[in-house]
Amino acid sequence: MYEGVRSPLIYTPRSIGEFSTIIARHSQAILWAGGTHLMSRSDYYPGEARDGIIDLSYMEELKRITRNDRYVEIGAMVTARQLLSAGRLLLPPILQDTLRSMGTQIVRRQVTIGGSLCISDERLSLSTTLAILASSAEVKRYDQGKVTTHWIPIAKLYDKDGRLNLGSKSALLTRIRIGLEFGDFQRFVVFGDPIRRSDECGIVALQAKREQNGLSEVQFCVTFPRKAFHISKDIESKLSGSALPIHPEKVNTLSHELVAELTKMHSTISDLQLERARRIFESFLHDLNSQSLF
Amino acid sequence: MKIECNIDGKALSLSVNSNKPLSLILMEDLGNQSLTSYCRGNACGNCIVMVNDEAALSCLIPAFRIRGAKIRTFESYQRSRQYRDIERAYKATGTKPCPACYNARTLIIESILQDQSGAKQQNGAPAAKDVKLDKEKIIRELSLNTCQCMDMAELIQIVEIALGYRNRRRRVRRS
Repeated sequence: MYEGVRSPLIYTPRSIGEFSTIIARHSQAILWAGGTHLMSRSDYYPGEARDGIIDLSYMEELKRITRNDRYVEIGAMVTARQLLSAGRLLLPPILQDTLRSMGTQIVRRQVTIGGSLCISDERLSLSTTLAILASSAEVKRYDQGKVTTHWIPIAKLYDKDGRLNLGSKSALLTRIRIGLEFGDFQRFVVFGDPIRRSDECGIVALQAKREQNGLSEVQFCVTFPRKAFHISKDIESKLSGSALPIHPEKVNTLSHELVAELTKMHSTISDLQLERARRIFESFLHDLNSQSLF
Repeated sequence: MKIECNIDGKALSLSVNSNKPLSLILMEDLGNQSLTSYCRGNACGNCIVMVNDEAALSCLIPAFRIRGAKIRTFESYQRSRQYRDIERAYKATGTKPCPACYNARTLIIESILQDQSGAKQQNGAPAAKDVKLDKEKIIRELSLNTCQCMDMAELIQIVEIALGYRNRRRRVRRS
């Protein structure tokens, strides 16, 4: 079976320096992190990888987790399982929930942070949560022998449909940085099955700071894999500064505004997905209200 | 591409395409009968093997990642003592998975048992039966296999009983 299928060359850089040399020669090579997404595509095998595969698993620099007083830095090749077990004390609770939602332990052993963020056309839970945590990613761009390093907010790595844009054909996401100052109200919900039925699924995340009787620094993101990656600045600004509890009428208005915004910007989201996202958003606000009563 | 690895206790040197999934290598190149998976990475959960003593979906592992790895399929696992714990739990409950998912489900249960007993050892908890199992976590792990042949409650019961056998066997060995 599969006679005539060419076996792609595998490059195994041990450092970022070695990676630079390889990517300069093989700019079309596939970058391989955990491989869970690449291998779940129906056209994966037998398939063409003409310029070879660069296996990133030998690069120790990409497997580090470091922390100081202000932020945590996580290497792109750290797996979801490693991060979950190493980061119980240093990660925000919403990120722990997100990592747990990424699949069973067997799958989490393989899923890498960088790989999950760099899926070209599908946004899943990690991108959504990191976007509301205002985290950023270090991206190295390789253009005609030149290497430039940029820190890009995760929210700006993707377009409105959730497609990845690293700014260059040859680029490597090396690590992410998450600030340790986060809101005291965090909610994250995934509906549907993002792995088996991504067309029907959605991810909603919200973070806010409660100060006296009001809200501040509200961050909200809703994602529909392959359809939309939506950060609503309008709703965030309307919620920031709102007094708690939020009037039920305002909750209702805001949730319908969200649906209107999503419908206007992304025509492919189904009615069921919209309704589920709206109700989850409403439940977050009702939850905020109920907590403000104590 | 030449890949040296150990599969079911045999040191092998395989000549396969570098990006071929391990599930296809096992089924097509080695004729392993314990695997039945053609979901092509869509997470049906039927192609579980142990890679370096940890359960993994073999359809998500390319050939170039198994260099030097120790792979154990259900064929060799069913001759081990660990399997006896799960087999006895099946007998004790009077239920077992259907033939289509039996191998994969058993290896998932083995992975849960390893995780549970490992966690207890780390926490220094002596008696397994005194510690409450995280049922939500177990359900999440068991849901990796999509076969509908068994009820979750039955599977949890099997895990609990098998864990009891496993810990009893360990205590006897230690004493």
